[in-house]
Amino acid sequence: MISKEKLEDYASKLMFKMEDSEYETLQEEFDVILKQMDLIGKIPNISDVEPMTFPYVTYKVKLREDEVKNTLTTEEILANAKQVDRDQVRVPKVVE
Amino acid sequence: MDMLKFNIDDIRKKLDSKEVTSDELFDEAIKKAHMYQDEYNAFVTIMDKKEESDGKSVLSGIPYALKDNFSTKGILTTASSNILKDYVPVYDATAYTKLKESGAVLMGKTVLDELAMGGTGTTGHTGVVRNPWNKDRLIGGSSAGSACAVALGIVPFAIGSDTGDSIRKPAAFGGVVGFKPTYGRISRYGLFAFASSLDHVGCFTRSVKDAAYVTDVLKGQDEMDMTSLEDDGKVYADLIDNDVKGRKLFYIKEACDIENYNDSNDEELLETLKKFHETLDKIRSLGIIVEGVSFDKELLNAIYPAYMTISCAEATSNNANLTGIQFGPRAEGISINDIMFNARTQGFSELIKRRFILGSYILQKENQEKLFLNAGRVRRLIVDKMNELFKEYDGLVMPASGGIAPLFGTKSDQLSDRYLILENHLAIGNFGGFPSISLPSGFVNDMPISINITGRAMEDDVVLNIANKVEEVMGYKNIVAKDGE
Amino acid sequence: MYKVVIGLEVHCELKTVSKNFSGSRNEYSSLPNSNVATVDLGFPGVLPVANKEAVKKALKMALALNCETPDVITFDRKNYFYPDLPKGYQITQMHKPVGINGYVMINVDGEDKKVLIHDTHLEEDTASLDHFGNYSLIDYNRSGIPLLETVTEPCLHSAKEAIAFLETLRSMFLYCDTSEARSDKGQMRCDVNISLMKEDATELGTKVEMKNINSFNNVKEAIEYEIKRQTEVLESGGKVIQETRRYDDEDKKTYSMRQKVDAIDYKYFVEPNIPPVKVTSEWLEEIRNEIPMLQYERINLYMNEYGISRKDATTLVKEKKIAEYYEQGIKEGGDPKTLANWIVSIIMGHLNKFEIGIDKIYLTPKMLTELIKVLNAGKISIKQAKEVLYKALEEEKDPVKLVDELGISQIGDDDEIRKIALEVIDENSHLIADYKAGKKVFDYFVGQVMKKTRGRANPATTAKILREELDKK
Repeated sequence: MISKEKLEDYASKLMFKMEDSEYETLQEEFDVILKQMDLIGKIPNISDVEPMTFPYVTYKVKLREDEVKNTLTTEEILANAKQVDRDQVRVPKVVE
Repeated sequence: MDMLKFNIDDIRKKLDSKEVTSDELFDEAIKKAHMYQDEYNAFVTIMDKKEESDGKSVLSGIPYALKDNFSTKGILTTASSNILKDYVPVYDATAYTKLKESGAVLMGKTVLDELAMGGTGTTGHTGVVRNPWNKDRLIGGSSAGSACAVALGIVPFAIGSDTGDSIRKPAAFGGVVGFKPTYGRISRYGLFAFASSLDHVGCFTRSVKDAAYVTDVLKGQDEMDMTSLEDDGKVYADLIDNDVKGRKLFYIKEACDIENYNDSNDEELLETLKKFHETLDKIRSLGIIVEGVSFDKELLNAIYPAYMTISCAEATSNNANLTGIQFGPRAEGISINDIMFNARTQGFSELIKRRFILGSYILQKENQEKLFLNAGRVRRLIVDKMNELFKEYDGLVMPASGGIAPLFGTKSDQLSDRYLILENHLAIGNFGGFPSISLPSGFVNDMPISINITGRAMEDDVVLNIANKVEEVMGYKNIVAKDGE
Repeated sequence: MYKVVIGLEVHCELKTVSKNFSGSRNEYSSLPNSNVATVDLGFPGVLPVANKEAVKKALKMALALNCETPDVITFDRKNYFYPDLPKGYQITQMHKPVGINGYVMINVDGEDKKVLIHDTHLEEDTASLDHFGNYSLIDYNRSGIPLLETVTEPCLHSAKEAIAFLETLRSMFLYCDTSEARSDKGQMRCDVNISLMKEDATELGTKVEMKNINSFNNVKEAIEYEIKRQTEVLESGGKVIQETRRYDDEDKKTYSMRQKVDAIDYKYFVEPNIPPVKVTSEWLEEIRNEIPMLQYERINLYMNEYGISRKDATTLVKEKKIAEYYEQGIKEGGDPKTLANWIVSIIMGHLNKFEIGIDKIYLTPKMLTELIKVLNAGKISIKQAKEVLYKALEEEKDPVKLVDELGISQIGDDDEIRKIALEVIDENSHLIADYKAGKKVFDYFVGQVMKKTRGRANPATTAKILREELDKK
């Protein structure tokens, strides 16, 4: 079973916190899904299969022509930001 | 007056003959929506003003509801999550633009499972959505409000999104038609992403023909969505009456044959399967050949975990934009990290967090091979198998669910066959991007049940054509939960 | 002594009209948040749409770097949280970069060296953060600008080699017209991986990474500092820690940022919103044909074929337009050495003085070549030619026409010079005896001829004729 500490680390890397009881449910869920995935791993020659990302591939897709289109106004860009300063989104100081 | 219980053809006629005006229809829809809101909670937003459009199409002047995970400029769009509870987009989803241009009238934005990640209709930030046929039962999700609004007769059609079964399952539980066309047939631009490689836009209606009408308006290539398909130049509504004699459908024996459940005492399941086979006979009466075929059990059992693995992985990345910085509620905090942490801690419900952690775990370098990539591999095996069967058959016909809409609070055994296969096979349609439709096929315990037909990718017209003919012989077209009230 | 092993990761913004995955303008703007589309902000529901020109320019660079190119273009997501990354992931290329296993030739102090390229891949830039007292401001103009990241193998061994590679790479961007590659505008930025190993060691030492160094000079100083720091650590018996360090260009030192244990797992996976796009051989050929001869090849050509010095050749190829100007001059029949000499010493001086490009001057390669022909025909002296050239540049005139206008073409005609020489001898007949007596008066006669011709007489011809005539007396 995956330890709570490990799960807490995942949560923290995803930038949120969870309650203790929530971790218990999560551990149970992990248990179920990992068991099921184990079965998938046992399908003969599964590792020879190319993993699928797209429902189908047609190769008909065209790249976009390089032109300016569909841009937003500064007002629209900032409309949803809660703190705006000199036409920029203001946040507490970002330090590396 | 109760115009909105009719099908699109009938409403169109009444509009064209000036028996009713678009304004009256809008007012009726709004009135009904408000009337049912406390009881059923279908809407996040009910419009108070009609948007003007001079678009001309079969849908013009007809009110519809849009799932609240489609971006609508100037109109609150929450994805039923606290993390977007105040988000007013600055751009329109392509599906919404197309409907506006067609003259269809938006009357409300519907409740979904938070961020479309769920199948119960119970996890939206504004509360649970109830089943119009029985308030003690859920309607299913994630497009819960859209299914509910159509089932209640508030609108003749509503728009949803479908990542695993999010249109087709609630449609089945609500006794309405739910259709998701081929992946890419309808642009996803502006649909809040759950799992990009599985997400589809689709619709709820009360007849197959109406689904064709709505799809005809929504489909087409979009320069904003690279995965959108070149238009096939077909008008689906014109093709639904084609002859279906000689068409071939298959069902999966392992999931549908009653003898596989001989030691089950699940009456509801047995009754549903019995009705399913009766329906197959009705379908055969159309001259359609229906055969049971064998499908590898290990692949069938893999559908659910593979779906969970892929969808959670993509979802954890797709929702990494929700930090409350450039949009969404700005959380308190001294540092930027605190702000992002608090926004996400407060903004997501427990279920969402659990799925994100699962997704993140799946994508970790050391787990990718065993989890994420194996899920992608099994996805290919399933899709390859389907495409092989589609060489012989025009479609797959299955019960949309192993039973009726569950009561609130029911826990399913996630390792049982019924759960693993009958409750999850609809995800096959998302794996391969196949067009897939659910349509009412009868009642069990006074609750609607449905069948699902899934066809070859690109052949949306064939699926709608077969479904339309099947609808005719089944006799459950345009059923409305609140009829006669 | 330790052997220094350096690998570089160079980010360079590509020159396109619009961004990599959106239709907003790819342009530096002093107005914050003025070139932004929904996609660049990561609003819910947006989808990336890949830019053909960005892909093309990335492929062009991959080919110029002698890389293997993929059969299809796909992208991947690199997942991490940072306030300058609105989507919470960066679209990049991990599984199938536009180029792998390439190399580029550089020259360090006259010695050729092959720098191995691990890969070059197309990705997108982040938003820019500006820091103030206790807050930061985010400008999304830069968000989504196409970025090409070129990763070398750890095959460089000194700051000098690193800089030579960077200079060469920059020239390739300029020659291929794929980027302005200006580090002062932040268009070119560099991560440096550096480790030290004992001369006889077989395994690489512990690697230290320095991120986001924004000028070549800083790269040089950062490397030099790190070599010194790591040497001191090793000399004192310590161990170099695997970590990421930041170079501070104020005090010219590096500082630890984070250690290996905190390394981020970027959870790469294929970007599902961009289906694979085929790279056809026709397209590749078309792109390949657009790649001009690059600096390194040009320098060798100039040295071997035109016989000019490495120094001049290197100067000439610094800018493609100058190299092309030079080559056009040769095509017009100009003498390669004189052309090189004049371009390097006179024309480039002029360009620097007025801070203009060679395409902005009136003087064409043909004009320059014609002037050289006039010189070589002995019509003017080298000194005159240079004076005319300066004047032509300043006054924006055709130098050959200037030669006429100023009446300074040399008199090379024997008869004419002889006539003047005889006049001079007649007028100074009293000096003939001195000449015969071996006194130093010959130069005086030459001077007088020059005076009469206002310096136009060919000095050699003049001397020859004067001697003939004086000897006859």
